[in-house]
Amino acid sequence: MISVKNLSHLYNKEGKPAVNNISFEVEKGETFGFLGPSGAGKSTTQGVLTGLLKLQKGEVNVAGYDVSHVQNKRFNKIGVSFEQSNVYGKLTAKENLEFYAKLFDVETRDAQELIDLVGLSGKENVRAGEFSKGMKHRLTFARSMINNPELWFLDEPTTGLDPAIAATIKDIINAQKAKGTTAFLTTHNMYIADELCDRVAFIIDGEIKLIDTPKNLKLKYGQKLVDVEYLEGGKTKKETFKTIDEADRNKLAEVIKKHDIQTMHTKEATLEEIFIQVTGRGLV
Amino acid sequence: MIKKILKVLQKDFKTSRRDFMAAYIIMAPILIAIAIAVFTPGLNDTTVNLAMLESDDAAHIEYMEQFAKVEVFESVEDMEARVEKRDDIAALVPAGDSYEIVVQGNEPEAVPGYTKVLEALYQLGATKEETTAELMSFGHTVPPLKTMFVNMMISMTVMLAGMLIAISIVEEKTENTINAVNVTPLTQTGFVIGKSLFGGLTALAGIVIGLFITGYGDINWIMIILVGLSSMILSLVVGFIQGLTSDDLMEAASNVKMLFLPIAGSIAGYELLADKWQWTMYWSPFYWSYKANLLILSKTADWPTVLLCTGMVIALSLVVYFLARPKIREGLS
Repeated sequence: MISVKNLSHLYNKEGKPAVNNISFEVEKGETFGFLGPSGAGKSTTQGVLTGLLKLQKGEVNVAGYDVSHVQNKRFNKIGVSFEQSNVYGKLTAKENLEFYAKLFDVETRDAQELIDLVGLSGKENVRAGEFSKGMKHRLTFARSMINNPELWFLDEPTTGLDPAIAATIKDIINAQKAKGTTAFLTTHNMYIADELCDRVAFIIDGEIKLIDTPKNLKLKYGQKLVDVEYLEGGKTKKETFKTIDEADRNKLAEVIKKHDIQTMHTKEATLEEIFIQVTGRGLV
Repeated sequence: MIKKILKVLQKDFKTSRRDFMAAYIIMAPILIAIAIAVFTPGLNDTTVNLAMLESDDAAHIEYMEQFAKVEVFESVEDMEARVEKRDDIAALVPAGDSYEIVVQGNEPEAVPGYTKVLEALYQLGATKEETTAELMSFGHTVPPLKTMFVNMMISMTVMLAGMLIAISIVEEKTENTINAVNVTPLTQTGFVIGKSLFGGLTALAGIVIGLFITGYGDINWIMIILVGLSSMILSLVVGFIQGLTSDDLMEAASNVKMLFLPIAGSIAGYELLADKWQWTMYWSPFYWSYKANLLILSKTADWPTVLLCTGMVIALSLVVYFLARPKIREGLS
């Protein structure tokens, strides 16, 4: 669905490239996470893929279209949810969605259905200018689905949302994924990426450092330890066991058999920890 | 594509109705037209100033006062001094059994002509009650002052089209909605056409309504619309540039107001410069549109002149457009 070969992009001819010779592919139906801290080159890459930035160097094919040749009809297949909400403040939520729906040549979704889906029921006739930041963000997210996109660009889809709404957004993304929608998710939130993505790419200083599935990364970079808290002689004891060491495995089995277990956690690495391990940099 | 362009147009109309400044701009030409209709004199109110001698026949003075604004003087010298002042006035100086009409020389032909007719009517003993005739004009079918005001209203309305575009673009910028439109099948050209139609049609509607309000419903509408549309090209280009380079509404509005300068300069140049200096204004599209509109409003326009003026407006505006096009494209990306 997306093919990028040797993409580079410069904002200033004498400056450092925002994106430097990156290559990757996204399969149809896949949710691909593009992860990195602010200024890493995520938005630049998405800008080129969506056509908002002109392709300077490299080959980029998106949804069957070569982005070096501007063809606006490709957007019939594409949905874009921006990090910064961008809706018409003087139009109501419903008017906003209905306006955009008319700009597509394909069958579009019902505005009210999308409003309900993102939890804005009852606000359809309220002008978007009166919405809170989170509500505007949800409306922007809803708009990105108006044309039933085959390829969906999601830029920080849960940023600034409260946990309940963020969970709703994640459910919607998963539901779309189940329908076969391909998603290109740009985020610096590793937990979102871990939950939603089939594969992730780590980008830093305009270069991709690694691409793999979250599961493989955890297996490769996780410490393979188990932390256990248990009661012994009325006192709480805490021990760490190596799951790759046979003696430790036997000892862990013994503890589970003989003692009252208070807590037990596998010490698999989070994506964030792996990111820091791989890139040597944090995500903020 | 047409359906999408019309959707942009419809959206802009809807958002501008909900914006105080845009709504005011849309209403401005109508308010100005009402003011012109109320405060400028009608054709039958048009008159001349007459200077007469105090020693003249009282009946003569009284007769003239029915049709002209009469000022009386003690001596011929006083009358001549008055005639030499800046405004238009004709002196009726007794010369034996008849009268001589003394003028400064730079008055419109209508001034001595009207005075001559009035004097002839007096000599013939004609009275208002005895005649069914109505004095309409001398060389004019409509009042010159009113025509000038209406023409200025048209020029201002054209500029307001640019201001509407600028406001609309600034709103798109501040709400970052241009990016959202850029990821739809609507092309940049379609977006620009939709926005231009919004500014252009709004201004055109303002001009048409304004002309009806001021009593110019019987002019050649094809000519006036042709000139109006052509003179909007420059206004729209300026509107786009200012919209894309301004950060807020006030900045955009004040920048577009700069258009007043060439407009006012063109009008002043046309009205005040002697024929031999008119060429100094040929660079301004507003000069040509003002000139064409004046002829159309006074019903003395012919197609070759109107087409020449329209051609000049379009050619000069296109030069500005092609110079500004890269900036517009860059701003909309």
